[in-house]
Amino acid sequence: MIALARLRLTGFLRTGRALAPLLAGLLVLGVLYGGGRARPAEAYGVSAVVLFPVLAWQTKILLDVEPDVQRRLARVVVGPARERAAGLLAALVAGLAVVVVALVLPWPLGGVTATVGPGERPVLVGVALGLWAHLLALPAAVALGALASRAVTRSAGYGVAVLVTGAVGIVVLGLSGSVAPWVVPPVMATARAVTGPVAAGAGLLLTGWAVAWTAVALTGYAWARRTRA
Amino acid sequence: MRLDGVWLRYHRQGPWVLRQVDVAIGPAEVAVVLGRNGAGKSTLLQLAAGVLRPSRGRVADRPPVVGWVPERFPADQPFTVGAYLSAMGRVAGLPGPAADRAVRHWVERLGLTRFHDVRLPRLSKGTAQKVGLAQALLRPPGLLVLDEPWEGLDATARESVPEIIGEVLAGGGTVLVSDHRGETVRLPGARHLSVTDGTVTEEATSGGAAVAVVELAVPAAGLAAAVTRLRAEGHQILRVREHAVPPPATHPVPASAGPSGTGGSVGESAAGSPDQAGAGAEDSAGPGPASEAAR
Repeated sequence: MIALARLRLTGFLRTGRALAPLLAGLLVLGVLYGGGRARPAEAYGVSAVVLFPVLAWQTKILLDVEPDVQRRLARVVVGPARERAAGLLAALVAGLAVVVVALVLPWPLGGVTATVGPGERPVLVGVALGLWAHLLALPAAVALGALASRAVTRSAGYGVAVLVTGAVGIVVLGLSGSVAPWVVPPVMATARAVTGPVAAGAGLLLTGWAVAWTAVALTGYAWARRTRA
Repeated sequence: MRLDGVWLRYHRQGPWVLRQVDVAIGPAEVAVVLGRNGAGKSTLLQLAAGVLRPSRGRVADRPPVVGWVPERFPADQPFTVGAYLSAMGRVAGLPGPAADRAVRHWVERLGLTRFHDVRLPRLSKGTAQKVGLAQALLRPPGLLVLDEPWEGLDATARESVPEIIGEVLAGGGTVLVSDHRGETVRLPGARHLSVTDGTVTEEATSGGAAVAVVELAVPAAGLAAAVTRLRAEGHQILRVREHAVPPPATHPVPASAGPSGTGGSVGESAAGSPDQAGAGAEDSAGPGPASEAAR
C-alpha cells in the first residue's frame, strides 16, 4: 500500500498537476494574510476554512491523475481495499505538505503577531490550536475530494458539483445558528472555537464530530467504489 | 477459480452484460474466451481478475497473485519503462532487489532493454503492450488474465506469449485469455469459452480434427513439385496464386520453419499438427485472412 501511495504521489508531482492547487492555496493564504497581523490561533482557524476547498480539490486532482486502467491494474495487484486506502494515504500526505506551508507562510508574510498581551495565549499554544484546526479539516477535505474523484463521479461535471457543494456547504451550514451544522465537518465551528479559550470537552466534541463526519464520508466512498473500479 | 452464478451490469438500471455465468477453471488449465466485439469478453476477464465485482453471484477460489494484461496498456503516465515496472514490482509486494531482478528479467525477455529509460507516453502501442505484459508477470501469477495479448505485438513477442502461458501453466497457474484474431491456435489443449448475448458456454474443442490454413511461398519453378509433395504428405491444397505482394500473415511463421522466396503462394490446409488444435476458434471470432483463403 505504501508503494502504491508513493507511485501515485510521484505521478501527481511529475505531471505538474500539483501546481494548480498549490498556487490556489498560496493565493488564498496571500489574500488572508495580506490585510494585517492577527493572533496565531484566530488566523490559523480561518486558514483552515479557506484551505478546505483547496485540499479537497487537490485530493480530486491527485486521484484523477492516474489513468482509469492503471487504477484497475493497482486494484488487481493489491486488492480493492488497499487500492482505495493507498489513494487516500497519498492525498493525506500531499495535504499535510499544504498544511505545513499554511502554518509557516504567515510568519514571513507578517500575517501573525508573536506579541503576547496580558491574559493572552502563548504563541506556541496558538500554533498548536492552528495545527489542530488544520488537522481536523484535512481528513474531511480528503474525504470530500475522494467523493468528487472520477472513479466515483465518472464525469468532470459531477466531480466539480460535488466539490462546490461541499465547499459552499461547510461555510453556509457551518455559520452560527445553522439549522443543520452536523451535516458538514466542523471547520467553521473550529475556527470560531479557537478565537476564545477552548475547553477540553469542546475540543473533544469537535474532534469527534470531524472524525465521525470523515468516517461517514469515507464509508460512502468505499461503498461507491465497490462497483466503480 | 470459479464463477458461481455471476451476473453483471454496469449500472443499476442498465442492461445485463453477463447473465448466470458458471465457469470453473482449474490449476494448470488455460481457457480461451471467444466472442464477437462487445459480447462481454473483457467484462468476463475483468470479473475473473478482480477488476469488476459481480452484481450477483460470486467469484471464488481466485489465486492470491493475479496478473492482468488489459487490452490497452495505460501509457499516459509520467514514468520511464524501468521506473514504472520497478514501482509495480514493489506494489506487488516484491522487496526492492527482487523487484529489480524481476524487472531486468522481463525487460530482457520481452525485448524492452533499449526502452528501459524511455518514458511510457513515447512508446509505440506494441511496446507499451509489452510493458503491460511485463507488469503482470513480475510476480509469478497464480491466475494470468490476458485481454487480447497479441494485439499490436511484433512477431517475436507474439511467439513468446504461448511460451509464457506454458510457463504459468507449468507452475500450476491458471490462464484466461481472450482473442479475436485466431492467435489461440498457438494454445493447444485450451478450453474454449464462448460469450454470446451475455451468456457463457463452453465449446467442445475438436482436437486432432481441427484444421488451419498455412500460406506458403515457393519458387515458381518448383511449384508443381511442391504441390505434388504436399498432397502426397496428406495436406489439402486450397488454391495457388501469384505472389506479388505477400498478404499479412495471420500467424507469422519463424524463418526457421521453412524456405521463403518469390514465386507462387500455396494456401495449404494442414491437419494433425500440434499447433492446429484450436483452429476452430476462428469460426467464433470472425473470419480472418486464413479462413478467407480457405474458401
